Amino acid sequence: MLDRLAISMRASHVLAILLLAAALCLAALGAALDDSFYLRLGTEALIFAGLALSVDLLLGYSGALSLGQALYFGIGAYVSALTLMTVPSFWLAMAAAGLATLVAATIGGLIANRVRGVYFALITFGMAQVVAKVVYNTRELGASDGMIGIPVVQIQFGPFAISAGNPVGFFLIVLAIIMGLYGLSAYLLETPFGRVLTALKANERRVPFLGYSVWRARMAVYVFAGLVAGLSGALYPVLRGFVSPELMFFATSGNAVISVILGGVGTLIGAIYGAVLLVILKSIIGSWTEHHLIVIGLLFMLCVMFLPKGLVGFSRPWIERRIVRVPSQEVTASAVSPAIAKSRSAS
Amino acid sequence: MIPPVLDVRGLGISFGGLKAVDDVSFSVERHRITTIIGPNGAGKSTLFNLISGALTPRNGKVMIDGVEMTRGSAEQKKAAGLSRSFQITNLFFELTVAENLRLAAQLLEPPTHAFLPIRRSRRAMEKTERMLERFRLAHRRDELAGNLSHGDQRRLEIAVCLASEPKLLLLDEPTQGMSHADTQDTAALVRGLTEDVTVLLIEHDIGLVMNLSDHVVVMHQGRKLAEGPPKVVRSDPVVQAAYFGHH
Amino acid sequence: MSPIDYLQFVLAPQILNGLTLGVAVVLVALGLTIIFGMLDVINMSHGEFYAVGAYAALALGAAGIGFWFLLVLVPILMIPLGMAAERLLIRPVFDSKDRHVTTLLVTFGLGLIVEDVLKVIFGANTQRPPTPIPGATEWFGILVPNYRLFLLAVGAAIIGGVAYVVYRTRLGAMVRAAAFDRHMAASLGVPVSIVYAGTFAFGVALAGLAGVLLAPIYSVFPTMGRDFILLAFSVVIVGGMGSIWGCVFAGLLLTQVQALASLVISPIWTDPIVFGTMVVFLMVRPQGLFGRLGHA
Repeated sequence: MLDRLAISMRASHVLAILLLAAALCLAALGAALDDSFYLRLGTEALIFAGLALSVDLLLGYSGALSLGQALYFGIGAYVSALTLMTVPSFWLAMAAAGLATLVAATIGGLIANRVRGVYFALITFGMAQVVAKVVYNTRELGASDGMIGIPVVQIQFGPFAISAGNPVGFFLIVLAIIMGLYGLSAYLLETPFGRVLTALKANERRVPFLGYSVWRARMAVYVFAGLVAGLSGALYPVLRGFVSPELMFFATSGNAVISVILGGVGTLIGAIYGAVLLVILKSIIGSWTEHHLIVIGLLFMLCVMFLPKGLVGFSRPWIERRIVRVPSQEVTASAVSPAIAKSRSAS
Repeated sequence: MIPPVLDVRGLGISFGGLKAVDDVSFSVERHRITTIIGPNGAGKSTLFNLISGALTPRNGKVMIDGVEMTRGSAEQKKAAGLSRSFQITNLFFELTVAENLRLAAQLLEPPTHAFLPIRRSRRAMEKTERMLERFRLAHRRDELAGNLSHGDQRRLEIAVCLASEPKLLLLDEPTQGMSHADTQDTAALVRGLTEDVTVLLIEHDIGLVMNLSDHVVVMHQGRKLAEGPPKVVRSDPVVQAAYFGHH
Repeated sequence: MSPIDYLQFVLAPQILNGLTLGVAVVLVALGLTIIFGMLDVINMSHGEFYAVGAYAALALGAAGIGFWFLLVLVPILMIPLGMAAERLLIRPVFDSKDRHVTTLLVTFGLGLIVEDVLKVIFGANTQRPPTPIPGATEWFGILVPNYRLFLLAVGAAIIGGVAYVVYRTRLGAMVRAAAFDRHMAASLGVPVSIVYAGTFAFGVALAGLAGVLLAPIYSVFPTMGRDFILLAFSVVIVGGMGSIWGCVFAGLLLTQVQALASLVISPIWTDPIVFGTMVVFLMVRPQGLFGRLGHA
């Protein structure tokens, strides 16, 4: 028995498999041509896709726009870098970054979840600014220059080891981790907990009367999203060998929001496609003009105004039809809103 | 002695000096239908908000099943077995009919199921199916709640309230805006509920109230004017002057 | 250093700097807070409109138009820009389910584009228009640049003028009525649609005017709005989104805190203090010190 949410999620999985296939082709092609530039670019795109995924968990499922999700990405990156510089162990760095972001996101969640809507957006923005400025001014963390000289580590898998300096190997590892985070997020949304999140977005004020604590649900998704951002950020210094305060700045958070909007809010896989698309756009447009922001800004605005489900919203109904093999029941916004408007205007 | 399902003692709240609900006391007996009536502005919906945790009372007590829950939040009162509907349809309009029901029904599952796949929540899934059948919504199960007709939405709302198997059901004007046929239909439905739950209603349709209720509480200007069996209340001269006089 | 000297050479100049920045940020924040109070829109492109005003002053000034004329011309030129932005970007999504988030995102996108367009036209370099009023006046042994004195006076006049228009005129009454309840206002004959577009344009024009006034002090560069708008946001939140007096009060207060704190602690830590204040206010008093426009 499939309901609408499950069908949409399956369609997202189809898109995820397509992405995975494309990524594996890139890896094979990169290995054959001995490329490192495109593989490392692809790796970076996937890392930022993890950050976008965490923004979509909040925006797409609980309806909360975070303008400071880079905070947890940056904390993950810095903790990972500090760990790697002390003990060159990839898994230890990931664990430390995960733990640190869990703590940070719990604190951040206690602060941010006191408010809703636009105030939530502004408070997350403000928190990220405060921490970013503190990091920017802390000499022990390299201040404005960040930290360089993070060693290239061997990533252990039992008896085997892959060097983080191996473009194909590390690309595949990052691919596995990011797709794993996607899978975990998708799984969570298919649980009773995840359904409460979708209820939050649909009608938050009704949720307490069903017996669920709004605060607890918001807190849980906030901490989980922080963890996703932190683990993604932890991969960054392994790839680039440095971290800088820019990782926490608004531009980083803003790019993640752009990725989610381009790819499709509330689709999870859209966030990943969006992040990849953003990197591709930047490098393609960037090859003939440095003013890629005009194009990206325009695309972004068009998506906000006319394509509320982004690119995935474009393609997914088609896949959904293939899955259920019945005419689509995708209900357009115009079909929903009169009913909502009617019931609201009764007040 | 078994305490009443709901016991309200001296409940009150005021907004900016206006006593919206003032010193209201009554109790609701198990498996019966109690109805609150009163002209517009009598404080009926505010009373519901105080009982259900949407508002915190200034004075008085709310006891659910003999346990004091006066200052309990909405979700605490829900956990104590109280479920409510709203005067203005309040559903998850962007979710399907089945999903609306399942959200309520998944509360039946132990908390350990919260992070397991939804398929594992068998009780919730079965409950959803039963509610779809019972409320004749099965053919619309995958429709978005926002696309239902007004009558179907009102029925769905009752079904959602019932899906979590509450002890006490608070229905705020369930027939509001319904056609005559739909109203009769809903009345029969509500009558059938008392096997499982106790019902506290707010209703405007006096004919319906007299047919349906076991007990009637009359409110006027925030205060309880009278209470008793429908026939007794109807013939009460004070009630007639204050309430029926308007019709 | 004697206490008098400290007062004269350390404290007083610092307070004066803080005051200049305070008036500057209030000018930018005024438009932001009016647009929020009235339209319920967080205008993320406000900083870019401020930059547009500064660049317009720079370009027109280079073309030979005098500073005094620019003070009037640039805000007037900003009005159609603001009107167009409201009509084309805000209006189509104004009635969407999540207005706050959608309008915030749309204006965020607009900001990205405007910033890059400025870079294309004027280049990424920092430029500085000549000071329109040269010289300095000595007050109790402190040299105060004349232009700063002028800015304080003009700033105070603008703030007073805006408050007068909003609180004392029929136009302002219409705006406040529409902010309080647009359906009610519409039924009372207020042309809500024009009032909305006009208010947005008015806010944008204020940002442009701030750009003209501040360019000679803080220089002109494409990302100038980005840095300034953070401070302006903090001011608007602490003062209460939509409150004009809150904006003035919080603007002057926060910049004084910033200026005086930098005497005690390293100046680089004053930014976290300002943003931290904003976060604390959002936590404990999201409505700010003063209520909203139309609601108080």
